[in-house]
Amino acid sequence: MTRNARIWRWVALLGALVIAVFPFYAMVVLSLKPGQSLSFPEALAPWPLSIHAYDTVLSDGRILRWLANTTIYSVVSTVIVLLISAMAAYAFARRRFPGSNAVFWVIIAMMMVPYHVTLIPTFMIVAEFGGVNQYWGLIVPTLANAQAIFLMRQFIAGLPDELFEAARIDGAGEWRVFATLVLPLCKPILATLGVFVFLWHWNDYLWPLIIAKSDAMRTLTVGLASMQQEVVPLSVLLAGATLSFLPIFVAYLFAQRSFRQGSSMAGIKG
Amino acid sequence: MNQMMAGASAPTAPRRRRRHRGMWIGLAFAAPALILFVVFRVFASGAGLGLSLFSVGVDGSAIWVGLTNFVRLFADPVFWGSLGVTVLYTVLTVPLSIGASFLFALLVRGKFRGVGFFRSVFFLPTVTSLVVAATIFIWIFSVDGPVSGMLGTGSWLASPQLVVPALVIVSIWVRFGYGMLILLASLNEIPEEIEEAARLDGARWRHQVRWIILPHVRPAIFFLAITETAVSFQVFDLINVMTGGGPGRSSYALVMFLYDQGFRYFDFGYASAIGAVLFVIALAFALVQHLVIGREKK
Repeated sequence: MTRNARIWRWVALLGALVIAVFPFYAMVVLSLKPGQSLSFPEALAPWPLSIHAYDTVLSDGRILRWLANTTIYSVVSTVIVLLISAMAAYAFARRRFPGSNAVFWVIIAMMMVPYHVTLIPTFMIVAEFGGVNQYWGLIVPTLANAQAIFLMRQFIAGLPDELFEAARIDGAGEWRVFATLVLPLCKPILATLGVFVFLWHWNDYLWPLIIAKSDAMRTLTVGLASMQQEVVPLSVLLAGATLSFLPIFVAYLFAQRSFRQGSSMAGIKG
Repeated sequence: MNQMMAGASAPTAPRRRRRHRGMWIGLAFAAPALILFVVFRVFASGAGLGLSLFSVGVDGSAIWVGLTNFVRLFADPVFWGSLGVTVLYTVLTVPLSIGASFLFALLVRGKFRGVGFFRSVFFLPTVTSLVVAATIFIWIFSVDGPVSGMLGTGSWLASPQLVVPALVIVSIWVRFGYGMLILLASLNEIPEEIEEAARLDGARWRHQVRWIILPHVRPAIFFLAITETAVSFQVFDLINVMTGGGPGRSSYALVMFLYDQGFRYFDFGYASAIGAVLFVIALAFALVQHLVIGREKK
């Protein structure tokens, strides 16, 4: 690349960087502004700063409760999705049963049905069993994850046959083969998928909006959105947004490599 | 298939029993996921389409009304308005976000100092929740924000003409990272020798883009066009948080309409009819994708 081209690339890169980062900068700086006036351009000055908004957020019991709800929703869902998807993927890749191929393709085909078609029946089923404003009502319908099964099946199908034969010759039962052989071998794909599934749940908005009606059951996304309708200072809203973004940011820092490799999975984000 | 295999190898009794047992073990392992799929995807999809033919009471009672919901829907100006908003939003978002993805992918292609850093930062908006993005951009497009401050336009979200463009801009910011990664993967498949040879033959940068890069990434762009269209047609989170469909109904998209009918007015039958329309649109896009990919393979 010529010297000139290189310079232009850097100019373009820095411009692109500003576009990508500016909203984050605005979020953090505005969340740290004292007082009520937050208009451009003064609002973007890195001075003066105050942590008053964070004080307000952290002393607001509701927001802490929403944070706890989001954490429960994301962590419990992720663990269960990984476990049952790994089991199903193992069955589809290694254990087969009559019609297993057809069943597998039905699962994949269901990905094409828009989520919103299932929204009302799912709500009716959950409501029928008293799941409105319950953790289980929030979690259970989100556990059927076709992408997770699909990606894990591809991974498990790629593992060498000899491993499984050796384990069986040693007399290991099916559950033991799964727990001591399949799961440890799947660590890389479990880690990558785990981050994606966690993110999807952490960021999920529509289903919690529908099923978590009471204030105490809201997740952070739903609570933050509901606060837009209240008279809340912008700095407090943005402090809440920053706090909700922080775990995502940390998870992202740890998992960037798998993000870049697992680009095909980014589509999980609705 | 099992019977065929059994006939071919004529297994002894214990072997047949073992194969039988293996079968049940496979099913047992798949069972938890399968049950969830059958209930919440297969049954719920069928029920979602089926409910569009019923009038559903808040208590869950359903009365068969045939195509009444659809007749009402197609006569409802709010439906056509929301379809119009959705189409406008999609037509603006898809090409612009793919264009942005393409530019960003070209920028972070290859190896140079800091390339990993740039790729990571450019993908960061994509992992951000739409509610968080919406919260920031509400300020950015407000009277107090930089857009109004520099252009003197007033709040974009309060303007019937500017509200959809504002939503489009936020969507592009949220999505370009995903497209960038897909296109980057495709760009990395171009053999270096081809570009090297073109350069030696004196091909300019824009010629390379036109004759080497674009033809190569065409399938990736097509894939993105289909998936982004499907996602755009289902836009909800951003709109519900940023504008609630307003001002007036100038950003009232299809899924907003479905949500309001279903969970504000609890008219489940009517909401299901909207869902059925979304399904038909998604099916049409899937068919186009299937046909075009099938043709390209030949």
